[in-house]
Amino acid sequence: MNRHALIVLLLWLLLAVVGEFLVVRLAPGMFPVVAAEEGEIVDNAFTFLMILAVPVLAFVLATLLYSLASFRSRGTPSQDGPPIHTNRPVLFVWFLATIGLTALMIVHPGITGMRELADRADREPDLVVKVETMRFGWRITYPEQKINTFQELVLPVGKHVRFEVTSLDVLHAFWVPAFRMKIDAVPGMVTTVHATPNRTGGFQNDPNFRLQCAELCGIGHSVMQVPVRVVEQKEFDAWAAQQSKLARRSN
Amino acid sequence: MAAASGLKPILKGLSFALVGLLIGAGLGLLFTSLTNRPSTEPVIVLGYVFALLGWLLGVGLWDAWGREWVGLPVQGEAGHDWRRFFRFTTDHKIIGVQYLVTFVVVMLLAGIASVLMRVELMAPGKNILGPNEFNTTMSLHGIMMIAVAVATIIGGFANFLLPLMIGADDVAFPRINALSYWIIPPVAVLLLLTPFFGGFDSGWTAYPPLSVINAHGQLLFLLAFLTFGVSSILGGLNFLTTIIKLRAPGMTWGRLPIFVWSIFAAALISLTATQFVAYGLLMIILDRVVGMSFFRASEGGNPLLYEHIFWFYSHPAVYIMILPAFGIALEVLTHFSRKPLFAYKWVVGAFLGIVGLSFIVWAHHLYTSGMPNSLHIPFMVTTELISIPTGVVFLAALGTIWMGRLWLTTPMLFAIAFVFNFLIGGVTGIFLADVPTDIQLQDNYFVVAHFHYTIMGGEIFAIMAGLYYWFPKVTGRMYHEKLGKVHFWSMFLTYNVTFLAMFWAGIQGMNRRVADYIPDLAGINLFVSIASFFLAASFLILVYNLVRSWARGTVASASPWRARTLEWQTSSPPPLENFPHPPVVVGHPYDYGVPGSVHAAPAPVGGGSEDER
Amino acid sequence: MVEATASHPVHDRLSINRLGLWLFIISDSFLFAALLSSRFFLQGVHRPAELNQPLGLVISIILVASSLTAYRSEMAAAHGDQRGFRNNILMTIGLGLLFIIGVGVEWREAFTHFPPSTGFGTIFFTLTGVHASHVLSGLILLGIVLFLGRKGRFTSGSYWGVEGAVKYWHFVDVAWVFIYPTLYLVS
Ligand code: HEA
Ligand code: HEA
Ligand code: CUA
Ligand SMILES: [Cu+2]
Repeated sequence: MNRHALIVLLLWLLLAVVGEFLVVRLAPGMFPVVAAEEGEIVDNAFTFLMILAVPVLAFVLATLLYSLASFRSRGTPSQDGPPIHTNRPVLFVWFLATIGLTALMIVHPGITGMRELADRADREPDLVVKVETMRFGWRITYPEQKINTFQELVLPVGKHVRFEVTSLDVLHAFWVPAFRMKIDAVPGMVTTVHATPNRTGGFQNDPNFRLQCAELCGIGHSVMQVPVRVVEQKEFDAWAAQQSKLARRSN
Repeated sequence: MAAASGLKPILKGLSFALVGLLIGAGLGLLFTSLTNRPSTEPVIVLGYVFALLGWLLGVGLWDAWGREWVGLPVQGEAGHDWRRFFRFTTDHKIIGVQYLVTFVVVMLLAGIASVLMRVELMAPGKNILGPNEFNTTMSLHGIMMIAVAVATIIGGFANFLLPLMIGADDVAFPRINALSYWIIPPVAVLLLLTPFFGGFDSGWTAYPPLSVINAHGQLLFLLAFLTFGVSSILGGLNFLTTIIKLRAPGMTWGRLPIFVWSIFAAALISLTATQFVAYGLLMIILDRVVGMSFFRASEGGNPLLYEHIFWFYSHPAVYIMILPAFGIALEVLTHFSRKPLFAYKWVVGAFLGIVGLSFIVWAHHLYTSGMPNSLHIPFMVTTELISIPTGVVFLAALGTIWMGRLWLTTPMLFAIAFVFNFLIGGVTGIFLADVPTDIQLQDNYFVVAHFHYTIMGGEIFAIMAGLYYWFPKVTGRMYHEKLGKVHFWSMFLTYNVTFLAMFWAGIQGMNRRVADYIPDLAGINLFVSIASFFLAASFLILVYNLVRSWARGTVASASPWRARTLEWQTSSPPPLENFPHPPVVVGHPYDYGVPGSVHAAPAPVGGGSEDER
Repeated sequence: MVEATASHPVHDRLSINRLGLWLFIISDSFLFAALLSSRFFLQGVHRPAELNQPLGLVISIILVASSLTAYRSEMAAAHGDQRGFRNNILMTIGLGLLFIIGVGVEWREAFTHFPPSTGFGTIFFTLTGVHASHVLSGLILLGIVLFLGRKGRFTSGSYWGVEGAVKYWHFVDVAWVFIYPTLYLVS
């Protein structure tokens, strides 16, 4: 192996190690608050992809930087470089590496992450919430509790919730940043998305607790949001009881 | 007076267009009164279609075809002064310049739109644009930039250079070539008119049902995109035929410059996939104008149909943008490293592999659309497979500069920056291709940052490399090297600051296509906005350099870079017939450092020797 | 598409034109692929009973027959038989017009049973409409060829215009061979 290659190898290792160190140290603090089990799967997948991306970035960067530093010619080059047309071993190793990496990414975090999400989605839900979207609001119905509201999404902590989403007019999307879960609301179709909130909190303390429209739907798209509140089961029951009382009174 | 006579074809086109507009609008009125559909949309559609026909006939179609058919004498070529740039000429070099200038202007307009957007996003709440104005500005920025990205290289660079590089005297269908350029101005006019018809708030993707029910501006957008598609298809057809049929003697497939290969690959996509977007847009137009039910749920319509059809085009379209950019970047890297292109044959294979794969990945845009979950894994797999051929392109780039004699001119700097930027764009594409992460990242600024890294950091940087590299060939003058370097560094740095920060905004939960956002994101948005203003300002250096150098730069020699490909073997700018003596190709274009190797022998005397590699 | 640039050296114009036409046909097939896929995506294999089956069959036969006359006109042109060429082109145009009239009748009925605003109507009118617009453009091309032929533009050695228009006509015909079963036969 020649001297140039050796230096690049070392430079690559150095950059990769520094990069991985940064990823491992910084990743946990990078994401906004996560408040659902599903959200943790998403964040873990993101972190793992960063870990995989670092050596790729580091390799290209190391080669580029080293080449720029040591192969540049001052002014117009007076002669040509060595006529290297190709190099089979290098190609072979490169193919092996990219194919291996791709396969790895597909399996993990791709397929494994999807499997984990699907396993949760297959669980019997503790609570079903129907969400109907319209320009530019949310009608949130709790069929079991027989209540509905346009004001906020209230959920009990630790319970597996299935959201059944549809739209009354154009496309919208159901998205709660703190849950990392998203699905389009399509007219004429019911789409489902699942979340298992595992941390109490509300919009007042953290704006990531919000139900935000994430599919362009017109003038009101950016303000099509309502607060989300994750509370203890007792509090949830009290809220539900109060809501149904209010509903009965207004009837 | 000279100006008026120089613009005669355009004035004629405009007046024919006006007549067409009146006829079409009249027919439209007739149609609405017959069908009792109180709507102005049929009037717009028919008015536009006839105006477009009128424009094309007036500007040159009649002179180019009609006169010949009815037996009238066909007029000769335009002269040599500036007027020829305003004519329906069939010289591929003039058409190339027409494309380039048009799209640089469109890009500046779209860039100004992005500056307006960034001003609005500087702080939460309303700053200068209301929500509807913001949406229109955003959508206009998107579609104009997409047009720039799709057509600048194929329409501009390939038109000028591809026939030269393969040793031909023109493209296969010169008149169709002119036609595909002259279709473009109406597209620009339509788009610029949209704000006067209520704008359109659907983004460049125009998802129904929103795009069925919103203001008339949407219809103008649909017609414009459709027209643009026609131009793309014709362009693809022309280049494929040119490459297959018009190569100079000795220019075997194994000796094609890599830029030509990249155009070949991109043209395959634009020839075929574009039909899908045409149909997608047609469906929306039919829903709007004649009340069909493609997207009306109560009649069994389904917006997902549009999403599939649209992305069946628009995903391959991103490779229409990036493949020619690979071509330019590899071309520049090779010549300025003074080394053969590394693994040439593998790169060609990779291009074709990307073309093949590009048709079977579209649904990675639809992970959260509500399509069946069973489709997630297949599309994730195909999408991530694209990194393998793309990786070959990267290996070729790195292998080419390795041990080279790097000549760090402005084009070379842009080509190297291309490798760096596109690396980030590509790798973040993987984050989106992965289903679990995309559930959070879809419709998020992470996506916005991803595609600005691939399109702007990738393709636009490659366009810049090409602009500087071929500037002497096109204009016959050198650009100002120092200014070029100043432009490079200011653009490279401000660009990366702007869009790296956008990834961060995305991770923090900034969703895209919003005029307003939660106050927590104020800091990062202010930062991005300020950086983007510096980025926009860096383009002023480019514009100044181009205008100044074209007018009075030092005169360029035939081959200022001592590059081996054919376009440098003729004068700068090339004569009308391209090569005084048709060239004969005898060797590989990239055999730098191979003693005694020759790419082309200028004068064919009994044919060249065939040394097969 | 009669391309000829006098000032330039002669390339093999004919083979260039042929390739161009084939590429165009490949491109256009993608449009028909999109049309057909939208039929199955939205309507599955649903087929209303009110479709006029006999009429559908008749216009299909007419169109197939027109391909035959188109072929004969090309052959005649190749052999320099000007009369045969013109007569067959004329017959092709006639059959094409008959087809268009047939589609018109079909549309009138369709308006009462499944108008364009209904689910099946959307598909029906779009597929037949896009196809009919291809037939119309084919008719215009054939008309131009007839006009040029009258002026003696085609000889047995040079009849690209005829060949191009006829090939396109065959393509439009083949497209119908796919559309007809997807609209009238599947269920
Ligand atoms: C030129 C344009 C361009 C290019 C080239 C790409 C390239 C890629 N894109 Fe991108 N993309 C866009 C333009 C582009 N994209 C646009 C405009 C959108 C948004 C549209 C909209 O909604 O408005 C988008 C959106 C988009 C999405 C949808 C996001 C969403 O809305 O949810 C996805 C998801 O899969 C994606 C993925 C990819 C991938 C995997 C690649 C790959 O091709 C990248 C491959 C490259 C590399 C991986 C780097 C180099 C490889 C190596 C160094 C080898 C080793 C590496 C590995 C083994 C990983 N893109
Ligand atoms: C070729 C492709 C391309 C390019 C080059 C750019 C360039 C830029 N884009 Fe673009 N962008 C898109 C393609 C592109 N974009 C697309 C497809 C979308 C999606 C739209 C959609 O969602 O539908 C998008 C969306 C998009 C958004 C998201 C909007 C949203 O979701 O709400 C933003 C936000 O910041 C943005 C910003 C910018 C900026 C700051 C630049 C800058 O790089 C621009 C640089 C400036 C210029 C090129 C102008 C030249 C400068 C002058 C004339 C100087 C004079 C002016 C001053 C000094 C003030 N773009
Ligand atoms: Cu609702 Cu966006
Ligand atoms: Cu894509």
